[in-house]
Order: sequence, then C-alpha cells, then structure tokens
Amino acid sequence: MSISRRRFLESASAALIGLSVKSDRRDRPIPGGFVNDAFELGHKLRDQSSFPASKRIVRLPVVIVGGGIAGLSCAWRLHKRGFSDFLLLEMNAQAGGNSRWGENEFTAYPWAAHYVPVPGTKSRYVRELFEELGVLVAGQWQERYLCFSPQERLYLFGRWQEGIEPAIGLSRSDRDQFRRFQDEIQRFRASGEFTVPMEVGFSTRTAELDQQSFSSWLRSKGIDSRIVNWYMNYCCRDDYGATSEDTSAWAGIQYFASREPEEKGPLTWPEGNGWIVRRLLERLGNFVHTGQMVHRIAVDKKAVSVFAGDTKYEARFVVFAAPTFLAPYLVLGMAPLHDFEYSPWLTANLTLERLPDSYGGDPTWDSVSMESPTLGYVDATHQSVRTHPERTVWTFYWALAQGSPSENRQLLLARDWRYWQEGIIRDLERLHPDIRACISRIDLMRMGHAMARPRVGAIFSHERQHLRKAPGPILFANSDLSGFSIFEEAQYRGVIAAERVLDLLG
Amino acid sequence: MGILLFITVLLIAACGLIYELVAATLASYLLGDSVLQFSTIIGCYLFAMGIGSALSRYIHRGLAYRFVWTELMLGLIGGFSSALLFLAFAYTQGFALLMYALVIVIGVLVGLEIPLLMRIIRARYLFRDVVAHVLTFDYLGALGASLLFPILLVPRLGLVRSAIFFGIVNVAVALWSTFLFSSQLQRTRALRIVSCVLLCGLAAGLAQARRITAAAEDNIYADEIIFARDTRYQHIVLTRFKDDLRLFLNSHLQFSSRDEYRYHEALVHPALAAIPAPRRVLVLGGGDGLAVREILKYPQIESITLVDLDPEMTRLFSRYPMLTALNQKSLSSPKVHIINEDAFPWVDATSDSFDFIAVDFPDPTNYSLGKLYTTAFYKAAGRHLSAQGLMVVQSTSPMFARDSFWCIAETLKQAGLRTYPYHVYVPSFGEWGFIIAGLREYQLPTSLPAGLRFVDTGGLAGLFEFPPDMSPLAMPANRLNDQILVRAYEQDWKDISH
Repeated sequence: MSISRRRFLESASAALIGLSVKSDRRDRPIPGGFVNDAFELGHKLRDQSSFPASKRIVRLPVVIVGGGIAGLSCAWRLHKRGFSDFLLLEMNAQAGGNSRWGENEFTAYPWAAHYVPVPGTKSRYVRELFEELGVLVAGQWQERYLCFSPQERLYLFGRWQEGIEPAIGLSRSDRDQFRRFQDEIQRFRASGEFTVPMEVGFSTRTAELDQQSFSSWLRSKGIDSRIVNWYMNYCCRDDYGATSEDTSAWAGIQYFASREPEEKGPLTWPEGNGWIVRRLLERLGNFVHTGQMVHRIAVDKKAVSVFAGDTKYEARFVVFAAPTFLAPYLVLGMAPLHDFEYSPWLTANLTLERLPDSYGGDPTWDSVSMESPTLGYVDATHQSVRTHPERTVWTFYWALAQGSPSENRQLLLARDWRYWQEGIIRDLERLHPDIRACISRIDLMRMGHAMARPRVGAIFSHERQHLRKAPGPILFANSDLSGFSIFEEAQYRGVIAAERVLDLLG
Repeated sequence: MGILLFITVLLIAACGLIYELVAATLASYLLGDSVLQFSTIIGCYLFAMGIGSALSRYIHRGLAYRFVWTELMLGLIGGFSSALLFLAFAYTQGFALLMYALVIVIGVLVGLEIPLLMRIIRARYLFRDVVAHVLTFDYLGALGASLLFPILLVPRLGLVRSAIFFGIVNVAVALWSTFLFSSQLQRTRALRIVSCVLLCGLAAGLAQARRITAAAEDNIYADEIIFARDTRYQHIVLTRFKDDLRLFLNSHLQFSSRDEYRYHEALVHPALAAIPAPRRVLVLGGGDGLAVREILKYPQIESITLVDLDPEMTRLFSRYPMLTALNQKSLSSPKVHIINEDAFPWVDATSDSFDFIAVDFPDPTNYSLGKLYTTAFYKAAGRHLSAQGLMVVQSTSPMFARDSFWCIAETLKQAGLRTYPYHVYVPSFGEWGFIIAGLREYQLPTSLPAGLRFVDTGGLAGLFEFPPDMSPLAMPANRLNDQILVRAYEQDWKDISH
C-alpha cells in the first residue's frame, strides 16, 4: 500500500515537473519592450502642460518643424538651391519619422516604411533625389537597391505561393473579376488623373470617387469575390492602415492606377527608407536639431515665433512638416481640424537566431498570410548578397485597421508590450509552428497616428485643399495633405514647400 | 503416421521450389533479363532433378539414412544459397558460374528426395497409393511455395532470409525423419546432433541476414559511402567504387575522379594559358582544390586566393589522404591562401586585383546561389581583373540546360564583359559549358603546360564551336531583382527528366 502510494506521488510530481518544463518552454520570456514611444510626448503637447519659458531668441528666415521625410526633403531642396539660413526641429531623438530605423550587431532594420516603388517619370523630385544618391545611374536603377528575388509570397490554402495577389485556388469567376478590375484600373491609368505625386494629375473630374468607399465601388462594379476582395482589403490595410470599407474609392484606385514601374522593384534597403534618411542626414545633419519639441507657434505681423525647449525662434516662414493634426495644438488661434484622421499601427522587430524549419521555400523579402489580420513580415537581411545569412531580423507589420482608430489607440496604450508580443508570436505560429524557439528578442513600436487615413471625402476635403495652398507665413508640408502617407507624397510636399518659401523670400 | 509423412513430402517440395525461385529472382535482379534467367534456371533445375532421380537407383542400402543426409545437405546449401550468391555478385566475377552450379547441386539433391522417400515407405502402402499420395502432396507443396514466395516471403523476409528460413525447414524435416524412420535408421544420435548444429548455424544466419545483405548491397547498388557529413552549409558525401571517387554536395555530383581532369583542365587552361604573365589568381568556390591543382602547373604564378564558404570542405581536401592524392596536395601549397567566406561579400570588400579569376560555384539551383550568377556579381568580380586579366565561369550544361547556359553568357555581357563560351564532354556530367569573360579580347593560347590529359592546343578552337542543338539562344540577363536563371535552370532540368 505504502509503495503504491509512493509510486503515485512520484508519478504525480513527475507530471508536475513535466508540466512546468512544458510551460517554461512556452513562456520562456523573450526580451523586448516598446521603443521610440511617443505617446507621452504627444499627450504632453495636447495638455499644453508646463513648458519652460524661453531664455534665448534665435532669428533666422526659415524654420522647418518635423524631421520626417517631408521636413528633410524641404531641407534637402533648400540646401540644394543654395539656401542655408534655416533649421529643422525634430521632436524625437532620431530624425526620420515613419522612416526611422534600428540596428543590432548584424543588421539594420526598418521601424516603419521599408520600400519605395520604382518611381515613374512623373515622380520628378524622387528621381532627382535618387540620381543624387546613386540609386538611378545613367537611366539604370542600381541592381543592389532593387528588391532581390524572390520578392513576395502569400500563404493561402495551407501553402505558399509566389506574389501577394492570390493566384492559386481561384474559380473562373474570381479570375474574371480580377481581369475586370484590371480593365477598370487600366482606364483610370490611361486617364492620367491618378499619378504619383497625386497633385500632378489631380482633377475634379474624379471627385465623385471620393464620395464612396472603395468596397462599395467594388460592389457597384460587380466585384463580389471573397478572394478578390481580400486582396483589395489587404492593399488598403497595407498602404493606408484602413480596411477597404473605410477607404475612399479614389484612394483605392490611386493605389492601383498611379504606378507604371519601368523596372522590377521595389527599391529597398536593410533599414528600409531609413537608408534614404541616413543619406539625407549625411548631407543635412548640421541643420537638423533632434530632441527639440516645438510646443507653441505664434504668428504676428513681423514674424512667426516657434517655441522649442527654452528657445524662441523668430522666423519669416515656418514649414510645418510634422503631422498636420498637431498644428491646432501648437499654432495659437488655429481652428480645430476635422478631416484629418490617422490609422494606428504597431510594428515589431523580431531577432531570429535562425529561420524556422517550417520556413518553406527560398528566403523571401515579404511574407503575407491570407488568414492573418496583420500585414505579415519583411526580412531585413534579404538585401544581403550573402548566400547563407543565418541570423536575421523580421519586421512585423500590424495596422490596427478593424474598428475605430481612437479605440485602437486606447488599446495600444492600455496593453503592455508582452500582450502584443504574445499576439505576434501566436499569429506567426500559424505559419511557422516552431517560430517561438527561433526568436531571441522582440521590440515593438506603437504609433497612435502612424498614417493619414484616406477615408471617404478625405482627398477632396476643403480643409485639406485650403491647407495645401496656405499662403504663409506657415506653410504645410506633411504627406497627410495628400490624404495618405507615402514616401513620394511626403517628399513632394517637402520639396514644393521649399520652392514656395524660396519664391516668397524672393 | 501417414499424415505426418505426407506433410514431410509437402514441406520438402516447397523447399525445393523456393530455392529455385530464389535463384531465378536473384539472377533477374542482378543480371536483368528475367525471361532468360527464369527459363534457364527452371530448365537447369528440372534437368538436375532428373539426374538426381536417375542417380537414386544406385542407392541400394541405408535409404532412410541417406534421405536424412540429403535433407541436411539441402538445408545447408539451399539455405545459404541466396546469401552466397549475393556475396559472390558483390565480390567476385564468377556469379553466373556459382549460380548454375548451386542450381544443379540443389536440383540433384531435390531429385533424390522423392524417389528415396517413395522407396522408404513403399512397404507400408499399396504402390498405387504411394505414388498418388506422394505426388499429390509434392504438387500441393509446390503450389503453396509458389504463392507464398511473391506474396509473403520476398516482401516480408527478402531473398536471403527466405532461403535460410526454408533451409531451416529442410533441416527440421531431417531431424523429424530421424524419429519418423527410427526403425530403419542407425546412428540416429549422430544425425540428430548434426541436425541441431545445422539448425543453430541457419538460425544465426537468419539473425545476421541484414548484415549480409547490407555488406552485399553496399557493394552492388550504391558505391561505398566513405564520408558523409552535414556542415553548416551543406551535406557532403564522398563515395568510392573501385578506383572511382565521387563528391556530392547536397546530393549534386561535383566530380568523379575518373574524369574530373577533363572538367578541371577545361575550366582552367583555355583562359589561364592565354594570359601573358599571370601572377595573382583568385578561385571562387572550388574548395576541392582540383582547379588549384591545375593552376599550380604555371610556375610563374605567385599567389592563389581560394574563397570557399565551407571550412569543412577545404579541411577535408587538405587532409584526407585519398583526396589529397587527387588534388596533389594543392591546398597545402605555400602559394595558396584559403579564405572561408561567402564569396559575394568578400568580392565586394576586397581591393585586390587578379590576373585570372576562376568562378566555380554550384549550379544555380536556388535563389541564394542564383545571386552568384547575376550582373551585380559579375560587375563586382570584373572590377578585380587586372589589365591582362581573364575570368572563367562554370556555366552548367549548354546541352541539358541550354537556356541557363546562354542566360549566364548574356548576364556576363550585360555586366560589361566580353564573352567567349565553350564546352567540353565530361562523361559523368555530359556536355558541360564554361564562359571566358574579360574586359579585353581573348585569343587562343599557343602553348599549354606539359602533361595535360585532355586539353591540347590543336583541339582548343573546336571547343568554342557550338553545334545546332547547343547554339546560342536569346535570353535576358539574370539580375538580383529578377532571377530568371533559377527558374530557367529548374525548367531546363524538368524538361530533361520528364
């Protein structure tokens, strides 16, 4: 009797150990945390809480507020035109905005924007920049900056296919609808009204498209296939952080009709668009002041006063390149804005000690799953010319597109980083059951106002059109004036703001 | 008593047929031409049975005693026949001779069995009953054996163990006959002891059968694997069959020692001999040291830099005697500097220039290896060519992978290099292609190092001529952002194998 009881106890404790070993494996804490967190800074601004009184005054003709692509492009243009009497003030410790990047001991990696589609001839300023940076040399795109093969893959029906547009398991009707959609897009492309940057072809003839959602426009064209609509919705989530339900049809069409790539792209770098920021900072570093949070802008007859830290800058013109929604909190007397909505995003960088055994196929740049609410992951070492990269970093993209942006912002704020980390691992485990054991670190970046959301009416909003043409002394330059946040729009707005400032200065 | 007797008949009939089937099956497996094998073996066997039956008339006394001995011998010879034949095929030249000898010996012994048995039992039954019962069970046993053999024995036991198993049955029949016919037997004790010894021997054979077949099959089906290792980068396997040493990387054949001289002479000499004063050489890939062996035939060369990703490869080919005999210890030459790094980043990082660059990478079977066949790579490599420098690129087969070969040529061209494609015949690979590339014009060499076995000045010009089935195809270049080569290569080989 006693023996059997001891046996029982032994086996019970063995079971307990087994359990704890098992849960150890599952809950092996993976180090990480939130990085570049701007929630607190932003809220401080909104509350206008105690900012120091200014102790010194700096007078100069031009101040740029915001060091993302728009602000840096404005600086680039001013400098290129031989004008150097300006400063750029950036709130964060690192310039770059949505093109910020990180780095560990074996690779750089993006924190958000990670590629630029090969620009067409209408993207004049982007081509000019790329010529200067050696990306476009004598009409040839530098091979090493074009995304290497294989570029993209999609997981659907339990397997991987090459490319993100679904191509396997389609019914005849799915194929028909894809074809009809392409025909529609071809019409819009031929009209020349959908261009990058959008302002080149912008026409009131297309205003009607801005009055309906992309999904209802698709329905009106008889496109009801589940798989076609998945793809359309994916594209909206990817470029705008919004579902096709919440995206203006004009913006949905813009995504497809505005590009005519002359080379198989896109252009990409290990640190994503951070590569461009780095090159710009090499040229413009002296003009860029980081960690400088502007907390008030006041316009009077003689000058615009910009208050940052304990310094008051007195400028003739201010280029406001930070997200436009911040302006009413900063500019004294500015009316609140109503048409500027933003999508909240979460990105994560996962350090992988090795690829999972379940990786499946040749290492690919961008992997997407049809079953996931997230946008998939991008491999930072894909642009390496190594044949055997071992450790790598995956940048995981998650646009919180479902539901209202403000509720999602609250969710981002309320949950700790472990919650999001676990969510990301579980999402990846559906593709790669053995992924957990490969990960040595997961850092996360949460952005409450990551991208301008081109909801219905946003593109033709009077508020926007008015701000695009603001006569000064404050000029607006953020990409959100276009209605959506992409590199080319930010660069264009920054460059034309510089041109206008130079004109105004005479 | 009666039924036991007839079961004995049934069993010995089955045994006899099994040995015959084993021999015929083995012969068709190993020699092929199953119709011929089955016909001749059945013929010989039946003929030998006739001889056995004829011989039985010369046995006058001690019928039961001789019957038991016949069974014992059959058990031993028949039981081990299959193992013996396997080993004979693997290690000797006399397989067919041994096989027919065995078939005849077994046939004679089986031919003796039934006449002897009928005579032993004839006193107990009417003659017509003896004949009827014995032959009935004889044929029944044959039917059973012929059904058991393909359905159960070959798939479950295999040929070696099937034969041994029936050898055991034969010996068991002998042992039990000593009881069955004890009244007609002397020296039963001795017979029983011999039976038990044989039973033990056969049982041991049954247990060891796997080793016997493994030993034989290693020598028959695959060349002997003398080295196999998973390194961080690849699976290395070395096999040897007689004097032929073969290297496989990720199961792709890299060379056969019988004809690798053709490949490596063709890789190196057409370009290297055409360089007026080569001093510095770069080899990319080629961790086997065989290209280096050819390069060392030019005494004026001062340094050879070998960049191969896998340190296991270069270590293996620096130390393993059988391999250093093949590369003539080339990797131990003081002129050779081995660098175990990924070639593309190494080429990007180095600032050295070279008079000759040999690019000898594995075929572009995936997108990772495909990067080493792009305009970007050839541009980077071309930057390291000296004024007199030339580069040679192993470029897959212009015969089996014609699209791929001409794609590589176009890629080199679009990297700004002049190209001179050529091809040679390497028996273990088939038609194989190379491309000489350089910033300058290439002219055929007028002299070559002494002692070459394949490349000679007279035949060189012919290598640069492509017959219509390998002639140039218009292909786009392979680029990092559009690796058409990997797809073309996959398609080329798919077309060959389907």
